[in-house]
Amino acid sequence: GVPLHHGMPEVCAPPSMVSAEQRQHAEHVFLSFRKSKSPFAICKHILETSKVDYVLFQAATAIMEAVVREWILLEKTSIESLRTFLLTYVLQRPNLQKYVREQILLAVAVIVKRASLDKSINCKSIFHEVGQLISSGNPTVQTLACSILTALLSEFSSSSKTSSIGLSMEFHGSCKRLFQEEGLRQIFMLTMEVLQEFSRRENLNAQMSSVFQRYLALANQVLSWNFLPPNYILSLSRATQNVTLKPTESWREALLDTRVMDLFFTVHRKIREDSDMAQDSLQCLAQLASMHGPVFPDESAQVSYLAHLVEGLLSMINGIEIEDSEAVGISNIISNLITMFPRSILTALPSDLFTSFINCLTLLTCSFGRSAALEEVLDKDDMVYMEAYDKLLESWLTLVQDEEHFPRGCFVQPAIQVFNSYIQCHLAAPDGTRNLSVNGISSHEEEEINELQEDDRELFSDQLSSIGMLGRVAADHCIPLLTSLLEDRVTRLHGQLQRTQQHLMASSDLGSVDRKVLDDLYEDIHWLILVSGYLLADDPQGETPLIPSEVMEFSIKHSTEVDINTTLQILGSPGEKASSIPGCNRTDSVIRLLSAVLRTSEVESRATRASLTELLSPQMGKDIVWFLRRWAKTYLLVDEKLYEQISMPLSTAFGADTEGAQWIVGYLLEKVINNLSVWSSEAELANDTVELLVTLVEKRERANIVVQCESWWNLAKQFASRSPPLHLLSSSVQRSLMKALVLGGFAHMDSDTKQQYWAEVLHPLQQRFLNLINQENFAQISQEEAVKQEIVATLEALCGIAEATQIDNVASLFSFLMDFLSSCIGLMEVYSNTPETINLIIEVFVEVAHKQICYLGETKSMKLYEACLTLLQVYSKNNQSRKRSDATAEEDQYQDLLLIMELLTNLLSKEFIDFSDTDEVFRNQDQGTPASNRTVSAADVVLYGVNIVLPLMSQDLLKFPSLCNQYYKLITFICEIFPEKIPQLPEDLFKSLMFSLELGMTSMSSEISQLCLEALSPLAEQCAKNQEKDTPLFIATRHFLKLVFDMLVLQKHNTEMTVAAGEALYTLVCLHQAEYSELVETLLSSQRDAVIYQRLADAFNKLTASSTPPTMDRKQKVAFLKSLEEFVANVGGLLCVK
Amino acid sequence: MCSAAPLTHRTMADPDLDFQTGESGASATYPMQCSALRKNGYVVLKGRPCKIVEMSTSKTGKHGHAKVNLVGIDIFTNKKYEDMCPSTHNMDVPSIKRIDYQLVNINENYMSLMSDNGEIREDLRVPENEVGKEIEAKFEAGDDFMVTVISAMGEECAVATKVLANK
Repeated sequence: GVPLHHGMPEVCAPPSMVSAEQRQHAEHVFLSFRKSKSPFAICKHILETSKVDYVLFQAATAIMEAVVREWILLEKTSIESLRTFLLTYVLQRPNLQKYVREQILLAVAVIVKRASLDKSINCKSIFHEVGQLISSGNPTVQTLACSILTALLSEFSSSSKTSSIGLSMEFHGSCKRLFQEEGLRQIFMLTMEVLQEFSRRENLNAQMSSVFQRYLALANQVLSWNFLPPNYILSLSRATQNVTLKPTESWREALLDTRVMDLFFTVHRKIREDSDMAQDSLQCLAQLASMHGPVFPDESAQVSYLAHLVEGLLSMINGIEIEDSEAVGISNIISNLITMFPRSILTALPSDLFTSFINCLTLLTCSFGRSAALEEVLDKDDMVYMEAYDKLLESWLTLVQDEEHFPRGCFVQPAIQVFNSYIQCHLAAPDGTRNLSVNGISSHEEEEINELQEDDRELFSDQLSSIGMLGRVAADHCIPLLTSLLEDRVTRLHGQLQRTQQHLMASSDLGSVDRKVLDDLYEDIHWLILVSGYLLADDPQGETPLIPSEVMEFSIKHSTEVDINTTLQILGSPGEKASSIPGCNRTDSVIRLLSAVLRTSEVESRATRASLTELLSPQMGKDIVWFLRRWAKTYLLVDEKLYEQISMPLSTAFGADTEGAQWIVGYLLEKVINNLSVWSSEAELANDTVELLVTLVEKRERANIVVQCESWWNLAKQFASRSPPLHLLSSSVQRSLMKALVLGGFAHMDSDTKQQYWAEVLHPLQQRFLNLINQENFAQISQEEAVKQEIVATLEALCGIAEATQIDNVASLFSFLMDFLSSCIGLMEVYSNTPETINLIIEVFVEVAHKQICYLGETKSMKLYEACLTLLQVYSKNNQSRKRSDATAEEDQYQDLLLIMELLTNLLSKEFIDFSDTDEVFRNQDQGTPASNRTVSAADVVLYGVNIVLPLMSQDLLKFPSLCNQYYKLITFICEIFPEKIPQLPEDLFKSLMFSLELGMTSMSSEISQLCLEALSPLAEQCAKNQEKDTPLFIATRHFLKLVFDMLVLQKHNTEMTVAAGEALYTLVCLHQAEYSELVETLLSSQRDAVIYQRLADAFNKLTASSTPPTMDRKQKVAFLKSLEEFVANVGGLLCVK
Repeated sequence: MCSAAPLTHRTMADPDLDFQTGESGASATYPMQCSALRKNGYVVLKGRPCKIVEMSTSKTGKHGHAKVNLVGIDIFTNKKYEDMCPSTHNMDVPSIKRIDYQLVNINENYMSLMSDNGEIREDLRVPENEVGKEIEAKFEAGDDFMVTVISAMGEECAVATKVLANK
């Protein structure tokens, strides 16, 4: 017998009573018990006699695992009797602990599943048995029946919830498919009967209500079943969330019966005040609302199903006051039906019904929006209305994006209502209700906000996109509304700032200023600008954004009533009140909205000039430049060729070669310059500002206008001379500024001007740097603060220059930077004891490689490789015999290593991404060195780099996740790209590389383990190519064969890894056939049991049958991988037996 | 060759002594706007020269102005210091110097160090830490090696050793 009770007290005792060691030992007793062979008799005995729950639990687990493991060795009748035994056991013991009962039922479910494809066993009677349990009317028995069905459901779902029984995915898939056609539907019918029964009863006592709840949850599980379509291979992906209901054809009768849907509406009405149950009933309805696929015989069936659903939904919502706990569920139903039903089905609804639905949706959206605002004021943890509101806004977006399918204009009124309510919720009283709690009291709390908190424009980007889209749909209403609200706020802000200024002249104490009025205005302006930005323009990544068609049409529609001169006057006089300009009501509304933002910007700029910066809101400053950038990308120099029709006012004001465009570029430039000098202390605002500048110059057409502005040249000179205040900007802002200045240099200018420009921008940098480092006593003065600052500034600027790389400027930037790179290597010597400078120098190389390597042709690449190699050599020389022990020594080294690995990975990336066209971009410069003269290759640099990195990589450093990932990415790359270089490595380096691979395979995360496995095949192939035995690599691969063999055959591993491990195993087997046979022999000879021996021997034979003798041939490899999957399924579990 | 006047040194043992910075004209610290400080850079926190290991910003209320939160490690004592100030304010940044000397002798825990212009100084103790042990061991073994001395705000300390390559 097994001394099972012996281990029990230690496992179950409170932590204080037993030592960790005792506990571990006890757990070990259980684990080995579960692995013992044929434990059925003893388990039955334990179940019948033991009173200890934990022991019962373990006995049930042991039975389950053993049945699966020994299935083919067991008599079918004994399996059947085992199942009956377990079920009877549970039925007879209503007082079992819940977790014991569930475990036993799990064992039953596993047996039923394993048997379902085995024709010699009949386990289908289980549904009949469960049906009888349900009809018993006894709540305890009904609960048990529900537990059985739930267990079956989760076993057959073959999801992550399913027990691992060591069978192929194909087996799981077939079981699932069979189950969803029969068993699942029987469960659904049983469940419906129960729900029907309970919904008819007047009063439910607590016990009955609890049974009701369980069956409702079960119904939800059935309706959330992830149906496996025919011919699909089951993949064990992570539990997919939000499964939509796509039943097979055989479910037609069951699910198209309107009584099913009605039942769920009835059930919900009955239990909606119970928040837990209401979630389930609403989720069931949401699943029904997502139904699609072959279950519908034709469109008309789909239309009538949807009509019935919408009717039910409307009558449910209209009669009630919605509970908090219903909001999310209801919005899910709506969102599902809008997303899943084709537009043609939605429009085929009776028009009254459709209109009622849209009206209801409108009211619901506005109401959820208001409740969401209240939740924010109360700072609730659980934001149910916010979630529901998000869902509904998303649904609106889906609807209006397909507007052309719906009756013309049918969304305009709803859009106005939703838009108004959004604006209202975000404005302060009296126009809005922001921060008003239910009783009308406004709250105004200042909380600490850290830099990690996202800006509203990102945090609420989904909401804002929807609202912006609705604003376009109702542009006639929304654009003028935003304009007048914003103009009003700006006027008030202006007045308030003036009053505060007067107040300050009298008292000069900033503390005495009441910021409440100002903050309220800033918050109003904040939201108005965000909504305006989202309404007027999109921000697609990487593409040229177009003016939204609705906005264009709106502007065109009104262009005949517009006075263009007045419009331009309003645009061009941001310092004046818009309403004070005669004829101001005859202006183009789109331009007028931009003008309103410019007015805000102007008030801000003037306040900074009046030394009121401290009263301003940096948040508003960010909003302004964010808006201007988004606007400029879309509207500035609007390209008429991209549009079918273009609005006269827009093309007159912002088209190419217009005064308007020139004026606004000048204005934006002034804004940028002003911001950079007054807001250097606000990193995010400075950053948004410099991004606006980059936007202005990154497109050639815009840059052409920018470089004509005098202020641009002043900015360039000022920055080049490092005079205040630009040097106060953070280093990242300075880099982007440098980037912008370089990009501007590639604009169209006559050659004299261009020469002058570079003389102003880049040459001073070069000159100052050279003057400094060429001084005779540079080494002596190098530690002086002023010298160090100059060096740091130069290095920062170089990073910025590298960032400016584009395909059409890479030729000149590369030459410019290369000169510096060699000087930088000299700096490595001078500053060898100054870690922060070393770090920055490496960063320059990283940036240059990152931005330029993909464009460089062979000759240029080689130059860069050479420079990088020298850098690494100097670094290595200087660090080899250096010992540091100051506080930040480890941190500094960690950063150096990270950068070096980044550099190496960047250099390697050339192997994947290469835009160079045999030095095409350098055509005029290169004298074409023949390829055979190639001296340094990427491989040399990278391997040299690895040489430096490897000895410094300690297991401690590998605990930094980013470093660890970067490291393994790098070495896998190397093995894959340059396997031929590996055997040539110096012995020490080779050994540590192999050790790293082993470490990564065996004791790191599965992601890294997979990377290492992927590195093995190319290494083995390399060995096979060389045909040399007894090389270190050959010997190492032999060791890896054993590791991978053990991993696949003897250890539990996750299925994701089987493929990578399988590929590695196959190439290793090809290389070491004799050793492989030996491994198999050893394993077989250790088997005492003749039956198991035979099964194993057969399995191993089958495994290699398709590939004998194994050769490195793709077809054979694929065949092997297929057999391997079968192998793991058939005997994987068997070998884990002790 | 060397433009600087001889340093007036001060050992870590007598912190209360009044001191001057070595170079004429160069000050021990200089001011910098908080926002322009950088991670990996240096700052004076609670009167101590520190290397900045963490730097983040925050604000009070959505429309408030930025404040900078700094965490630094004292370059001599390894102690951690934190501070927070409005990002428009100036903070003191210590002038940091690192000079390599060749170790000539150790006499009663004081090192004889030779700068690259041949001047000898004998006013620095062997530090009582890992580097100190390293210095003593290398000296005992008769290695030729350099000692990196870091100095800031009048304090100095040996922080690293480097064996000469050509020996």
